[in-house]
Amino acid sequence: LIIGVSGTALQKNVSVGSPTKVELTCKLDENSHLKNPQVTWKRGSETISHTSKTQNSWTIQLTISDNSQLGSYSCILKGEVEVSATFHLQVPQIEGKEKPVITYEGDLAVMVCKTEYAPMAWNWYMTNGTELVAINPSSDTNKFRIKKQSANVDRLEILKLTKEDSGVYWCEAAFRLGKSKRRFELKVLSIMAPLKPFIAVVAEVVILVTTIALYEVYSKRKGEEGEREFDQIEQL
Amino acid sequence: AAEAGRAPGPPDGGWGWVVVFGAFVSIGFAYAFPKGLAIFFKEIQDFFGTSYSEIAWVSSIMLATTYGAGPISSILVNRYGSRPVVMFGGLLCGVGMISAAFCTSILQLYICVGFITGFGLALNLQPSVIIIGKYFLKRRPIANGLAMAGSPVMLCTLAPLNQFLFDNFGWRGSFLILGAILLNCCVAGALFRPIGAGTALVKTQVTEEGKDALKGKITEDGKEMSSALNVPIENKTEDEGEKDCFEKINQYLDFSLFKHRGFLIYLIGNVLMFLGFFAPIVFLAPYAKHTGIDEYSAAFLLSILAIVDMVARPTTGIVANSKWVRPRIQYFFSFAIAFNGACHLLCPLASSYAGLVVYSSFFGLAFGMVCAMLFETLMDLVGAARFTSAVGLVTIAECCTILLGPPIGGILIDTFGDYKYMFIKCGAVMVLAGTFLFIMNYYNYRMLAKEEKERKTKEEDPKSVRTENEGRKNWNKDSTQDGPELEPLREEGEGVKKEMNGT
Repeated sequence: LIIGVSGTALQKNVSVGSPTKVELTCKLDENSHLKNPQVTWKRGSETISHTSKTQNSWTIQLTISDNSQLGSYSCILKGEVEVSATFHLQVPQIEGKEKPVITYEGDLAVMVCKTEYAPMAWNWYMTNGTELVAINPSSDTNKFRIKKQSANVDRLEILKLTKEDSGVYWCEAAFRLGKSKRRFELKVLSIMAPLKPFIAVVAEVVILVTTIALYEVYSKRKGEEGEREFDQIEQL
Repeated sequence: AAEAGRAPGPPDGGWGWVVVFGAFVSIGFAYAFPKGLAIFFKEIQDFFGTSYSEIAWVSSIMLATTYGAGPISSILVNRYGSRPVVMFGGLLCGVGMISAAFCTSILQLYICVGFITGFGLALNLQPSVIIIGKYFLKRRPIANGLAMAGSPVMLCTLAPLNQFLFDNFGWRGSFLILGAILLNCCVAGALFRPIGAGTALVKTQVTEEGKDALKGKITEDGKEMSSALNVPIENKTEDEGEKDCFEKINQYLDFSLFKHRGFLIYLIGNVLMFLGFFAPIVFLAPYAKHTGIDEYSAAFLLSILAIVDMVARPTTGIVANSKWVRPRIQYFFSFAIAFNGACHLLCPLASSYAGLVVYSSFFGLAFGMVCAMLFETLMDLVGAARFTSAVGLVTIAECCTILLGPPIGGILIDTFGDYKYMFIKCGAVMVLAGTFLFIMNYYNYRMLAKEEKERKTKEEDPKSVRTENEGRKNWNKDSTQDGPELEPLREEGEGVKKEMNGT
C-alpha cells in the first residue's frame, strides 16, 4: 500500500493556485509485500532525484513558480512487483452544476462557481456560435448581474430570460499559475412544457374522483332498493 | 328483532380494503413527501443565494405543521368525518405546491411549501389513520400495517420521480407537477366512504329530507359510534346551545383523555421515543460518507432501509394480528422500540460497508415494526371512539421532540466530531422508552384486568338502571377504560347481550 501526502488513492489531485513550495511523499506500508524497493520519481519521462529518504518513505520537494511546473509527478517503486502513485498538480478546479440548468422564460437563471482557493479574478463567457463572448454586467445591467458571494464563490444571474438565452456558458477562474474553466448549459423552457403533464395529472384526478363518486351513488341506489324492502319487513 | 335493530360493527373487510388502499396513498404522501423534497434543496439554495440552514427551515416548518396541526385535524374529523377533511387536505397540498412554483423569495417558500402544504398533509395523515379504526377491528393490525407501508413505498417512488422531474423541468416545473400529483390525495379521500353506527337512521333521514346521501352520512359519522349499543345518538348542532363552553371543546377534542391511564402511558413513552427515532435516518448517509463510503453506496443504504421497511410493515401487521400477539400488542410494541434502540447502540461497532448494510437492514426492520404499530397501539389503548382526539393530541406532543431529535443529534456530532455519540444517544433514548412502555403497560394490563373483574360483579345488578343513565360520555368512559380492544371477539358477544337486555 502506498499512501500519498494526505490521501489513500493511487492518484491524487493537488490544487495549486499561486506559487508555492510543494512536498510530495510516497510512503510504503510496513505490512506490504514489497521490501526494499527501488524508488524513482518521474515527471513524464524525466527523472527527479529524491530530496530526502527515510526507512520507507521517499520525498521530493518542488518549488512551483510558474505554469510550466504543473503537471503529473509519479513515484515508482520497483521490487518483486511494481507499484506507483501519481500526483496531479493543477490549478484549483471549479465546482459547479454538472447537469443543464433548467429555467423558464421571464425567470431568472443562476450559475454558481466555487473553488477551493480564491482566484485572482472571475470571468464569465457565453458562446455565440463558436466564439466566446465575455459577459460584462455593467454594460447590460438589466440582463446580467454578477454577485460575489465570497472570495471563492462567484455567481452569475441572468435576468428576463428568453429562448435565445439558451446555450453554453463558461465561468473562468484566473489564478497566478493558470486558469480553470467550467461549462454550464442553460436551457430555457416555455411555461407550456410542465403545463402539459400538469394538466394530464389534474385530468386524471378529476376523472378518478368522478368515477368513485358515481360508483358510490350507483351502489347506494342499489342498496337502498334492497334496504327499503328490508325496512318494511322490520316495521311488521 | 334483535338482528335488525343491531347496527353492524366494523366490517373488517369488503370496502375496508379499498379504504386501506386510500389510506396507503394518503399516509404515503404525508410521510414521504417532505423527505422527497430534499432533492430540490441544493438548487433552491443556489437560486436564492441562501445558506443551507435557511433551506432546511422549509423542511422543518413542513414537518412541524404536519404534526402540530394534528389537533385541528382531529377537531375537523370529529365534526365532519374523514372524507371531506382528506379531500380538502389534498386540495390544500396541491394549491400550496402550485403556488410554490411561482415563488420569488425564500419566505414565500416557507409559507407555500412549509405551512400550506404542511397543513394539507396534516389533514391527510390523521383522518386516514382514523378511518382505518372505523372500518376494522378484528383485522385492524393488518390494515394498519398495510396502510403504513405506504410511507416507504411512496418514498421509493417519489425519490427517483423527483429526480426525473428536476432534471427535465427544473425546480419550478417540478413543484407545479408535484402539486398536481398531490391532488391524488383527493382521490384517496374520495374512497373514504363514511361509516358509522347511525347508518340505518341516516337512510330514512335521507329519503325524508331529500338531502345528498353523502352529506347525511358525514354528519352522522362525526358521532364516532362504532360499537353495537343502541344509545340514542345526540345531535351536536341541537345541543350546542345548551352545553357550556368547556363541554363544547370537549366534544370536538376530548381533553378528558389526559385522565386516561393508557393514553398517558402511550404519550410519555412515544414522546420520549421520538427524540431518537428520526435522527439516525437523517445522519445515516452522512455517516456512511464520513467512514469513506462513496455517495452512491451511501444512498443505497437508505434504499435497503426503505425496502426492508416496506416488507416489515405489513408483516408486522400480520404478526400483531395473530391471537398470540394481539392481546399483548403493547409488549410487542415496546419490544420493537427497544430493538430499534439496540440496533443504534450496536451501530458504532459496524465499521465496514458490510456492517453498515447489516445495520441498515435491521434498522429498516425495526423502523417498520414500530411504524406499523404506532397507531394500532394507540387505538388499542383508547378505543376507536376516542382515537380521533387521541391521535391529534399525541401528534402535537410528538411534534416538539420530532423537531428536536435531529438537531440535537447534529449538535452531538459537531461537538464531538464523531457520529457514535449520536447513535448512542438515540439508542439509549429508545431502549429507555421501550423499557418504560413495557413496565407501564404491564401495570396497565393488570389494572385493566382488575377493573374488568369489578365490572363483571357489578353486571349482576339490574341493567335497566345503567342503560338509562348512560349518556355518551359515560358510555365512552366505561367501554374505553375497560380496554374493549383487548378481547375484540368477546366484546362482540357482549354487545349482542347488552342489545337483547336493553330492548
